[in-house]
Amino acid sequence: MNYNAILTSSFFLKGIFVASLFILIFISGISYNHTIVLTESSELVVHSYKVRIELDQLYSNIKDAETGQHSFIISQDSIFLQSFNDAREEVSKSFINLIKLISDKKQQKDNLDSLYKLTSLRIGLLVKSLEQSSLRPLNQSFLEKYMLNGKSIMDNILILINEMITLEAQYLAGQQQKYKYETYFTPFFTLLLLLFSLTVFSFSYYKINHDFERLKESNNNLIITSESIKHAEKIGDFSTWQWNLESDKLIYSDNQYRLLGCEPQSFEPSLRKYLEFVHPNDRHIFIESGDQLDQDKKPTIAFYRVIRKDGELRYFKSIGKLLTDIQGKKIVIGINVDITEQHLSSIALKDRNFELERSNKELASFNHIASHDLQEPLRKVQTFISRISEEELLAMSETGREYLIKIQTAVSRMRILIDDLLLFSRTNKAEKIFEKTDLNLLLENGKQELAQVIEEKKAIIQAKHLPVLNVIPFQIQQLFINLISNSLKYSKPEVDPLIEIEYETVNAKDYPKLKENIHTKFCKISVTDNGLGFEQEYAESIFTLFYRLHHVTEYPGTGIGLAICKKIVENHSGVIESEGRPGIGSTFSFYLPV
Amino acid sequence: MQNEVVHVLLADDDEDDRLFFRDAFKEIRIKTVVEIVNDGVELMDYILKPDIELPHVLFLDLNMPRKTGMECLIEIKKIEQLKNIAIAIYSTSASEEDIEDTFVKGANVYIKKPSDFATLRKLLEEVIKMNWQYHTSGLNRDNFLLSL
Repeated sequence: MNYNAILTSSFFLKGIFVASLFILIFISGISYNHTIVLTESSELVVHSYKVRIELDQLYSNIKDAETGQHSFIISQDSIFLQSFNDAREEVSKSFINLIKLISDKKQQKDNLDSLYKLTSLRIGLLVKSLEQSSLRPLNQSFLEKYMLNGKSIMDNILILINEMITLEAQYLAGQQQKYKYETYFTPFFTLLLLLFSLTVFSFSYYKINHDFERLKESNNNLIITSESIKHAEKIGDFSTWQWNLESDKLIYSDNQYRLLGCEPQSFEPSLRKYLEFVHPNDRHIFIESGDQLDQDKKPTIAFYRVIRKDGELRYFKSIGKLLTDIQGKKIVIGINVDITEQHLSSIALKDRNFELERSNKELASFNHIASHDLQEPLRKVQTFISRISEEELLAMSETGREYLIKIQTAVSRMRILIDDLLLFSRTNKAEKIFEKTDLNLLLENGKQELAQVIEEKKAIIQAKHLPVLNVIPFQIQQLFINLISNSLKYSKPEVDPLIEIEYETVNAKDYPKLKENIHTKFCKISVTDNGLGFEQEYAESIFTLFYRLHHVTEYPGTGIGLAICKKIVENHSGVIESEGRPGIGSTFSFYLPV
Repeated sequence: MQNEVVHVLLADDDEDDRLFFRDAFKEIRIKTVVEIVNDGVELMDYILKPDIELPHVLFLDLNMPRKTGMECLIEIKKIEQLKNIAIAIYSTSASEEDIEDTFVKGANVYIKKPSDFATLRKLLEEVIKMNWQYHTSGLNRDNFLLSL
């Protein structure tokens, strides 16, 4: 559910509405037209009947005139003369009406003209015969002639009137036919109009209802989203804001006010008001970042301090982004984050880093002291002891010689300790340059360095073919040296040492110690010997610095060798472990990431 | 060449080491003349005197006050009449860094001061014998650090 869908839907609805409007107007026009035709048709019928009635009336009036005239001639009563004259007047009126009624039809007009002539003739005859009848002596034959003549004219009039009535009926029939044809589709159009309107209404109802449901749903989602944002803002110490560039109106989320130490919506947001909260020395940062907003489309980030209403100093980060909304208005949307805790902890971290660097430097200078200044007096003690000649030794007492030997042993041990300690600290701090190296080569170099001891002890070293790995070469070589010399040192006196070096690729997930490692595949290399072995309970502690399982007088050593091994493996993000079987031997395995 | 007197010069600020050095040469069968200076400044003063006989081998301690052995090495290699003197670094430390640096700067051999007088004597004898070979065969990084 998104605004776009609703928007499209509303455009769609508008289209439907406009189309429906046009179709409705069109159909209504047709229906109106048809209604007019119907009215005209009925008017035509009325008209046609009026013509007929008028014609009948005309005929009857002529007849009345005739009757009036006849009656007067017979009775010589002036009442009948009056009725004759009235009838003549009626005839004239009928003609006036008829002219009005049939003025639009040429043929009827011609017929009417003929009718008028005939009627005038008839009336003329009637008038003449009336005049004749008043003359004495009465001219019988003349009068009869008039009568006969009048009868034939009356017949003609009747024929003409009938003709006209027939013609009018024909007109009517013709018009009726035309109208019948024209109004044939009227019920159909009316039905269509009704059905179409119904469809549009139904569809609109469905659509509007559907959109309304969707709107309700998206409104609901919007409420949930806005609630969760409010929630997130509170927890995450951030706020959102909108800034309409055109109207210069700012909208803050509730948390914006809280971040400033105010009650939500407690003041009208404005840039000027916000700047009052910004630390005076940081206001320029805020303003400059606002200027940048207009220039590029990328989000602009500003870091500055804010003094809250309660006077507390907080560190803020603002991220603003310029965008154009669907109505084409330019607005800036952004978030403000209170990063005080992060800022303070990063300062603390910086301090700690600085401290660490300083202590590292101190360690480095300690290394220098250990390597040079501490060694020098020791070397001199040793050299001076070596300068005491045989004769001088003989001159000394037994105890003196013994003490001298003890001094020599102690000094030697001191030197070894310093050397080993140096090696250990160098393993720590030396530059870690990883190179793709053939481990076989490193093992070979290590064996060469130990060649003398290997030969003395008659040791046999069997090694599988090792892989090429990304390692710090001299450290891995040192690792091989330390592990092999360890095996040689703690070998059984009566048995020739046998050292087996094996290799396999393993998955980190199969080894608990490797599970949390960022690497997934490891190369496991194990060094197994047939020496004295050790109790499994010491498997961890033997890697601890200065930790020893044997007394110095039994097996000389400093307890640093295996600690160096551990350090080296850790430098390679690997793990080292050991397994001891007293009287049988021991296995040291290290895992290096492939 | 054995019959010729070999001129040896040592620059070292440590009194004891100077003593060991002198004593060691007393026990070496080769005829040598040993001159000793106490630091880098003295060394440069001495070596630039016009009337001295230049040493065949200069033993140079690295860690000296006023002017370090490294500074001396660089200066000497820049001076035309001195740059052919064989230079043996003679130092307490044998850190990779020092060895690398002095080799690059043109030293001929590197000796770590041993903790045994007999070893010292042998080492010095070796250097005196070796010196001439180095002049002809050139420098070699692999056996730059001298060990017995």
